[in-house]
Amino acid sequence: MSDATADPLVLENVSLTLPSAAGPVEILRGLDVRVGQGERVALVGPSGSGKSSLIAVAAGLEQPSGGRVLLFGQDLTKLDEDRRARLRRGRISLVFQSFHLLPNMTAEENVAAPLEIDGRRDATATSREWLARVGLWGRARHYPHQLSGGEQQRVALARALAPRPALLFADEPTGNLDAANAAHVATLMFDLVIETGAALVLVTHDEVLAARADRAVRLRDGRVAQASVAAA
Amino acid sequence: MIALSLRFAARELRAGVRGFRIFLACLALGVAAIAAAGSTAEAFRQGLASQAREILGGDLSISIQQRRFTPAERQVLEKTGKVVFSVASKAMAEAPSGDRRLVELRGVGPGYPLAGKVTLTGAASVDEALAVRDGVAGAAVEQALLDRLHLRLGDRFLAGNLPLVARAVLLDEPDRLSRGFALGPRVLTGMKAVEGGGFLAPGLPFGETARVALPPGADLQRSKSVLVQAIKGAGRVRDRDDAAPGIHRLIDQLEYFLGFIGLASLVAGGLGVFGAVSAYLEVRKPAIATLKALGAEGALVRDVYLIQIGALAAMGVALGLAVGAAAPLVLGAMVKDQLPIPALFAVYPWPLAKAAAFGLLSAAAFSLAPLGRARSTPPASLFRSDLSGALKIGPEIVGAVLAAVGLAAMAVVTAPTPLAAGIMIAGVAVSFGLLWALGWGAAVLAGKARNGARGPLRIGLANLSGPHSAARTAAPAIGLGVALLAAVVLIQSSLLKQVSEVAPQTAPALVFTDLSGDRAQAFDGEVARAFGQPLTPDIYLRAPFVTGRIVAVRGAPIVLDRIPKSERWAYDNDISMSALGPQPANAGIIEGRWWPAGYAGPPQVAMDVDVAKGGGVKLGDLVTFGVLGQEIEARVAVLRKVEFGGFGASFPLVLNPSAFEGASLRQVAIAKASKVQEAAVIRALGANFPEVNVISVREQLEAATDLFDRLALAVRAAAAVAALAGLLVLTGAIAARARARTREAAILKVLGASRLQILAAYVLEYGAVGVIAGLAGVGLGYAAAWPVVVKVFQAQWSVDWTGVVVLVGGAALAAGIGGLLAAFQALSKRPAPALRAE
Repeated sequence: MSDATADPLVLENVSLTLPSAAGPVEILRGLDVRVGQGERVALVGPSGSGKSSLIAVAAGLEQPSGGRVLLFGQDLTKLDEDRRARLRRGRISLVFQSFHLLPNMTAEENVAAPLEIDGRRDATATSREWLARVGLWGRARHYPHQLSGGEQQRVALARALAPRPALLFADEPTGNLDAANAAHVATLMFDLVIETGAALVLVTHDEVLAARADRAVRLRDGRVAQASVAAA
Repeated sequence: MIALSLRFAARELRAGVRGFRIFLACLALGVAAIAAAGSTAEAFRQGLASQAREILGGDLSISIQQRRFTPAERQVLEKTGKVVFSVASKAMAEAPSGDRRLVELRGVGPGYPLAGKVTLTGAASVDEALAVRDGVAGAAVEQALLDRLHLRLGDRFLAGNLPLVARAVLLDEPDRLSRGFALGPRVLTGMKAVEGGGFLAPGLPFGETARVALPPGADLQRSKSVLVQAIKGAGRVRDRDDAAPGIHRLIDQLEYFLGFIGLASLVAGGLGVFGAVSAYLEVRKPAIATLKALGAEGALVRDVYLIQIGALAAMGVALGLAVGAAAPLVLGAMVKDQLPIPALFAVYPWPLAKAAAFGLLSAAAFSLAPLGRARSTPPASLFRSDLSGALKIGPEIVGAVLAAVGLAAMAVVTAPTPLAAGIMIAGVAVSFGLLWALGWGAAVLAGKARNGARGPLRIGLANLSGPHSAARTAAPAIGLGVALLAAVVLIQSSLLKQVSEVAPQTAPALVFTDLSGDRAQAFDGEVARAFGQPLTPDIYLRAPFVTGRIVAVRGAPIVLDRIPKSERWAYDNDISMSALGPQPANAGIIEGRWWPAGYAGPPQVAMDVDVAKGGGVKLGDLVTFGVLGQEIEARVAVLRKVEFGGFGASFPLVLNPSAFEGASLRQVAIAKASKVQEAAVIRALGANFPEVNVISVREQLEAATDLFDRLALAVRAAAAVAALAGLLVLTGAIAARARARTREAAILKVLGASRLQILAAYVLEYGAVGVIAGLAGVGLGYAAAWPVVVKVFQAQWSVDWTGVVVLVGGAALAAGIGGLLAAFQALSKRPAPALRAE
């Protein structure tokens, strides 16, 4: 087990209840999860088990209803939205199933965006470098709608890793891709995470992909059903 | 931070302004209307200023009534500069055929005109036209007189007893604008001729004016005060900077009315701005959430979109300014020669700056709230698309409120009459609030009603009650446009009815003036013979008439500044007075008692209650009048409500007859008459009473009706601009929901709905929006028009039901057509691709 203060992510007894027309819905129920430096953790479980919600809470995109979320030792539940955004800068990145590229920005501008937000002067140069690393050097000036699904996800991956984050959240990163593209993106992601030394929290349905992580956390009905299973 | 916001905003703007066409149109429309109104008014102001000397006929003008300038006054005038004198009176013109008509007779001295030029046809110069030949003076007359008396140039005619020859057609005089309203065609002749015609005897209603051209370098104001002193304040002195105050007021009011329509369009179009910004930010929600997930703070997100909206608002304002500046130039070039007022059409910066400020404040008032929601968009909406930013009190809401207050304050401060403007702005704000609440209420009701409905009706009601209901967006905007249009239509139709139907029944058809007191009985007989019926008090009234001025109240001289503007007319001018023994019918006494029929004690006066109130006069007070060259002090015995437009003793001041002991007062008479009787009496009076002037009220009312008719269309077209803003908002609401409608139509088709059912559902939905907006708009228009007609114009209220039906039907039809277009657009797409796109 890693040292608590050094761990990038610690979730303690985290719960999340959301309102709905039919009444409150319990999404997460007393979760405890810890991710160490450079550790690659897969979150697996059936649809509706709370995997994506866990990422939203862990990345500070959503405030939990109960419990504590410690990101690099800072309790997210005590920070407002803007301070949580500042905390993410340069240290945390996200990759989504539906890419979420900024539609009015080119591939190069998309990758540069988090660097620019962080005030980095080398944003454009770094962006080009990362586009080259994901094999899209020639598509730098293309807009998202001019790229294929696989290419869009590779841009998203470059955008996520260009700031060299200490922690990468990936929510079903291959879920919208065909098998060949999915394999290519997965390999690229693991290679780059290993290269940059970032910790990875990967949500996936894909057991094969999950197996490439150091360990897997299995969720069911918002609870950890089976924790810290060493990946095969 | 700002540089980054600018960079991101520029990247976003590269996608173009597709979703912002309605935003741009709404802003541009209002700004263009305000800019055009301001630029046109400025063109007239500059035109008047550039020709101020010509309009006044000199640098200074000094007018006195019912007397000539004394030799001492003439000496002062001639010392001041070059002087030209003119006299003006009213007279009955008579053709050899016996046709007669009241004219405005003017005699001018040598050297006329001092400034500008007289435009004539038929004679080469004024001197040629007015020259005396064969002992008869020449005259330049307006075409209307030639037409009415069936005269041709070269024909002789009489003005009173004065023979004249019509030698030229008078098209324009340089000082016409400064002289104001005319009761009949103008006749210009020489001063000597008018002097010889007996129009200038003491006590007769004539006026003399001296126009002065100052020598170079003379101080205008100093010269003016010398003249004011010379006539001891008993006349009116004007300078070239104050050449046509009435026209200036008219221009101010016209600018405000048109500007107000522009402002109302901006408010109605504001919903289009709000809708476009909201729809755009809704589409951008994933991008906003992504930016936040990438570490962007709320302020950065807000600034990125604030810059975009700001740039687009600037574009909309620029578009409006371009149209608003160009429209008067184009229209001016087309109609310049037909304008009654000189105009210098050009691009004037101040009206454009004012319009730009209105546009930007309106854009801020209606866009900042959605930006506040964008700032608080939770990044978790990347996972849950139903999440949206909450509208909390923050800098954006504060900014929106300040912009709205600024908009209203600017509209009030820049208005010629701030109180009226304040009431109008408050009216717009309250109407807008009511319409908005009504839209919400209608949506809630539709939600409840849909449970009992089926088929297309149920679909229509469901859409009407849904989160994107047009009842909440388009209905208030259309309603505001309809309200403005309805107010204008109802005010116009009531006033038109007043002059074309009500007034001819209640007001006299004829007014006879300048009747000498000693021939009054004979005059009554002449009128009775011409009418062919005995004269009864319900068709004929005659009373002594004199003009005089209120000079003091309770011994204290009048201070004009302390008298409300609405009543100042009674204190800064000679006003009409009469002397009556017995109490007249319908005296309208509010306070006090009329003196006994044979009363011969100290003078008493019956005063109009509003005039009294204006001067702080109470029952029992002593009021001093300057009349017939002497001062009369009378005690206020009666305060009464005078119906000035009615058939009765409509004098603001009536004294007991003994107050004028020894004076032979002239008489005035009023009569109700048919057209035949009118023609007969005018002709008959030519033989024995040529000096009696006959004013045809019917003719004046017909002229007013004609003017109203001509103005009505232009005013309604201007007011329709606000309704156009409402339609733009409707278009925006339809466009914003086009994709969702396509998908909805596809789903309905999959579920087995026919095209007709879908069409019916959409037409029902939007038609209902139109009916709600039309009815509410007409209701609000009614509420706005009623006090204007009844309280301000004191006219009889009547409802133009045709106009009401057209407005409600038009709103329903326009909205229904909108629904039809929305349905056609949705149905034009095949269901499969529409569903796959989702």
